[in-house]
Amino acid sequence: MHIRSLSLRQFRTYARLEMDFPPAPILLLGANAQGKTSLLEALAYLALGSSPLTHIDRQLLHWQAVASGMPFAQVKAVVVKKERTETLEIVLQLSQTTNGSPPRLFKRIRVNDRTVKRSELAGHLNVVLFLPEDVTLVGGPPADRRRHLDNLLSQVYPEYIEAQNSYTQTLSRCNALLRYLRDEGGDPAQLAPLEQVLAETGVTVSLYRRRVLAALSLHADQFYQKLTGGQAWLQLQYEPNFDPLAPPALDYQLGLLPQESPLPPVDVETLQEIFRTTLVKHRRRAIQRGVTGIGPQRDEMRFFSQEVDLGIFGSRGQQRSAVLALRLAELQWLQEETGETPVLLLDEVLAELDRDRRNYLLRLLDGVEQTILTTTDMEMFPAFFREKVLTFRVAGGIIRAVSSMSAPGD
Amino acid sequence: MKNVAIPPAVTRLIETFSELPGIGPKTASRLTFYHLRGKSELALSLAKELQNLVEKTRFCSICYNVTEEDPCPICSDESRDKKVLCVVAEPLDLLALERTEQYTGSYHVLHGALAPLEGIFAEDLRIKELEARLRKGGVEEVILATNPTSEGDYTAAYLLTRLKPLGVRITRLGRGLPMGGDLEYADAVTLTRALEARQEL
Repeated sequence: MHIRSLSLRQFRTYARLEMDFPPAPILLLGANAQGKTSLLEALAYLALGSSPLTHIDRQLLHWQAVASGMPFAQVKAVVVKKERTETLEIVLQLSQTTNGSPPRLFKRIRVNDRTVKRSELAGHLNVVLFLPEDVTLVGGPPADRRRHLDNLLSQVYPEYIEAQNSYTQTLSRCNALLRYLRDEGGDPAQLAPLEQVLAETGVTVSLYRRRVLAALSLHADQFYQKLTGGQAWLQLQYEPNFDPLAPPALDYQLGLLPQESPLPPVDVETLQEIFRTTLVKHRRRAIQRGVTGIGPQRDEMRFFSQEVDLGIFGSRGQQRSAVLALRLAELQWLQEETGETPVLLLDEVLAELDRDRRNYLLRLLDGVEQTILTTTDMEMFPAFFREKVLTFRVAGGIIRAVSSMSAPGD
Repeated sequence: MKNVAIPPAVTRLIETFSELPGIGPKTASRLTFYHLRGKSELALSLAKELQNLVEKTRFCSICYNVTEEDPCPICSDESRDKKVLCVVAEPLDLLALERTEQYTGSYHVLHGALAPLEGIFAEDLRIKELEARLRKGGVEEVILATNPTSEGDYTAAYLLTRLKPLGVRITRLGRGLPMGGDLEYADAVTLTRALEARQEL
């Protein structure tokens, strides 16, 4: 798939932007703080329904939009796919309330001019976004890796978004109830219906994560071996905080689920029941702590190479290679899962890679329908790449074509 | 907000108005000045009605609906079926059911739905009173008529655990497609439930 055109209004640094894209590698050239990253962010926003850079939608509004009394932002793109062409749009509207309470932000998502729920945005546009700060993903906090995995799954499966939302919402309810039971007392049976929902949705979240990581691990290993000249392998390991496939010390479950094979045939209802009974078993401790201690909110995902956890012992170079391998694995996984090549968004990442890895990555782009790169420095790119890329200059939220293969796409 | 240009009687009323749900300082000022300039009869009758509301109404000691006389007209109505009990979250839900003129049983008002994030727990609802009513006997069916929201469903699921040991028949309002709705635009959850609850013709 590729983006044919993008329209931005009052989004980040862009007061207004109308831009056409060719299905080719596109290079956005410009100094820092001119709007290069915001443009990639806008495209990722349409793919995910939320920004990969902030979880506060209000920050996406152009500062003048808030000051001017026309507080809204719009991101709209036309996506060309094999079978059809689609229009995706997200509108943010800050509405003043009459009763003095702080203004509320309304968010409307439209697919082909029809308003849809956020979960229905899944599958319409797929992107793989690579940001410079991603090199810390391997050694950074586990929450970053979880969010990352969630973002990937949210691009493909509406049911994952629904399960994830319901799980998160129920979890905060459950925690509020646990604190109340700890501080005020009350009937612990109030937990039961919430535990039921946590079990149903938590198992879905966990199974999807397991499935995608198994596939990503295989792909990432291949790319990592190529990046290291066949010298090292890479494994992505899913470490669920609560693993229904390997239930801890529930005697009556022993023998029920084979622990050896990586993907045993799963009976979802059995897994849910195991998760639920485990939650019930841990009730007393949960009430003491005032928080639910088990579940996918505490899942971990680790990068191993030659039996070594790269998150703890990996060098900066190894961590960079691992993240690059992960991004390429995502590209391949999305392609296999959807039958379309996702749009590849590379923000300043070349500066993070040495020459060999840089060239390896740039040569791979031939297999991608559309890549959008940003850079401050044209010299970063080898001659073979500069010949086939279409360059735009970005300055102060305005974009102009510099060179072109055919006619300028303005 | 101290302002000597405006008498305390005015500022106090503004402050009181803004304590009401859905009313902020702006609306509160507008309401206050409306009464200041408007007809004094309206302001006085409003004051009187508010006083009546507080002094004359109370909760029915049987169903906990809002009433002026205890027991309430529905509970004391001989023609209402006392064997069927409809459990609702709010008095307004009861009103909606009464408007159908189809329901002839009696009610029980919980005064809320379970909402841990808003600080509403089982102990805040009239659940003990409901249990006591059922223990007294005479009720054969309890209809759970909570909202089809996650909070309403949560409340219904919890009520089920509390009421099941009492041995009465427990049912829930049917759910599915709204009148005048459009199949094409119905969401997946609603459609699934409508399919589950399909009926023989």
